[in-house]
Amino acid sequence: MKFFDVNTFIGMPTCRMYGALKDAEGLLASMKVSGISEAVVWHISQQDGFPLDGNLLLSEEIRGKKCLCGCWTILPPQTREVVSKGFFKRMKKDGIFFLRAFPAKHNYLLNAAVFGDFFEELSERKVPLMLSLERGVSWDNIYSLMSEFPKLTCIVCDIGVWGQDRRLWPLLEKYRNLMVETSLLSLGEFMLEATVEEFGAERIVFGTGFPSHAHQAAMLQLVHAEISEKDKQKIASRNIERVIGRISL
Amino acid sequence: MKTLRQKFFENPAVKDCPIYDMHGHMGPFYGAHFPIPDIDSMVRRMRRAGVKLLAFCHHASLFGGGDGNRGNIDAVRKYPKDLKAYCGVNPNYPEEIRKMLGSYDKYRDVFIGFKMLADYHGIAITDAKFAPVWEFADANGLLVLIHTWGNSPCNGQDHVRAIAEKYHNVKINIGHSCHGEWDKAVGLVNTFPNLYLDLCAVLDDRGVLEKFVKEAGADKILFGTDFPWFDYHWCTGAVIGADITDKDRRKIFYGNAEKLIKIVGA
Repeated sequence: MKFFDVNTFIGMPTCRMYGALKDAEGLLASMKVSGISEAVVWHISQQDGFPLDGNLLLSEEIRGKKCLCGCWTILPPQTREVVSKGFFKRMKKDGIFFLRAFPAKHNYLLNAAVFGDFFEELSERKVPLMLSLERGVSWDNIYSLMSEFPKLTCIVCDIGVWGQDRRLWPLLEKYRNLMVETSLLSLGEFMLEATVEEFGAERIVFGTGFPSHAHQAAMLQLVHAEISEKDKQKIASRNIERVIGRISL
Repeated sequence: MKTLRQKFFENPAVKDCPIYDMHGHMGPFYGAHFPIPDIDSMVRRMRRAGVKLLAFCHHASLFGGGDGNRGNIDAVRKYPKDLKAYCGVNPNYPEEIRKMLGSYDKYRDVFIGFKMLADYHGIAITDAKFAPVWEFADANGLLVLIHTWGNSPCNGQDHVRAIAEKYHNVKINIGHSCHGEWDKAVGLVNTFPNLYLDLCAVLDDRGVLEKFVKEAGADKILFGTDFPWFDYHWCTGAVIGADITDKDRRKIFYGNAEKLIKIVGA
């Protein structure tokens, strides 16, 4: 089975974390041992440091590494710190196909007043916005954002260690472009299987949360999940390849 | 010879590496949707993942005004080879605890010991209301699973230490290993031989298991999942992915639990 991990990061967090990886070389070595072919990666400095500096660090780290796909951090377009003229061209040049937002940490609101035109353009270009429940995005944020931008391609990450079906399933039901990654969905007993049964495998993309979580946790769960082999392959890599194939930069 | 990593990826269950889950639950829960929390589905999923024994405490015996330990008793008597229960105790109802201790011998086939969930019940494990349970468990050499969390006001590392200093015969499974206060948890098991580290809700923090093995030794670690909260393959995968030896993994998956179960006479 080919694994494409959509949820990994590199860099040393400000607060001590066991098993943190300094750079992309370390990530590639771990991926090789674990049997993961490709990954979407971001740099912890995009969250803990100044986002633009973090974005540039990431671009340097992944340059020339074809199995790593980049994910930058955004800030409100009005300040032009990150999002400014030529932003999408720079994304394309640096191999960046995904974006992340950390509204709590970076002190802004994730709504139409702040991101109106920009998120309309993201929706048109089908650039996925990754929103992490463990990194300062709330369920309320996601519900209000999706109600304002229902066509936005959004990947909900790190959904938490308690079963979140009561919060996640209404979103999956209502917004067709909303997807969920597996790092903590898979942690819930039978949650992956139940979500596939309710909404189909197409709405789920494989992620590990590495290096916070071991690669093998989400991998082993998917390998032995009680769903069809075809659905496993979709989740493991095909769905995210389809998402990337639709992006227009 | 194949490694455990190879074996676990080839098959959902590995025959020569059974799993003993020493921290589980059962039944639906108010705060989360569990797709299949019923006894029959749980046992089917356990067997599929190669789980030989689950030591659990039914949610209904810990939360709400339901049927006490009836869920524990019925489940173990239906699946006596697969299940052992921790008798749930709620210190807010000392009269119920007294009654339960009085009838404990009738359920020796069911119970492996007790479960304390002090954070949720709002009374510290060191409170006098828990004392009859500690004394009973200590006198009978039983196993007690305590929910713990780093710096908790009811079941933090200092409470565990106070209990361990007082009771030496009871075996204590430190549920969640004083989550976040990993150094303190290691210090506790290195000081008191009757204490064990629990991996439930620890395995989602990569690197902590390696620390436990290095600093406390694999002999002091018990596998736990909160099942049906957490998926067996996710949790076994986290152990498989840790940078420890297969010999250590076998101790964690089954070796330590088998020894402990013999010691507590369950």
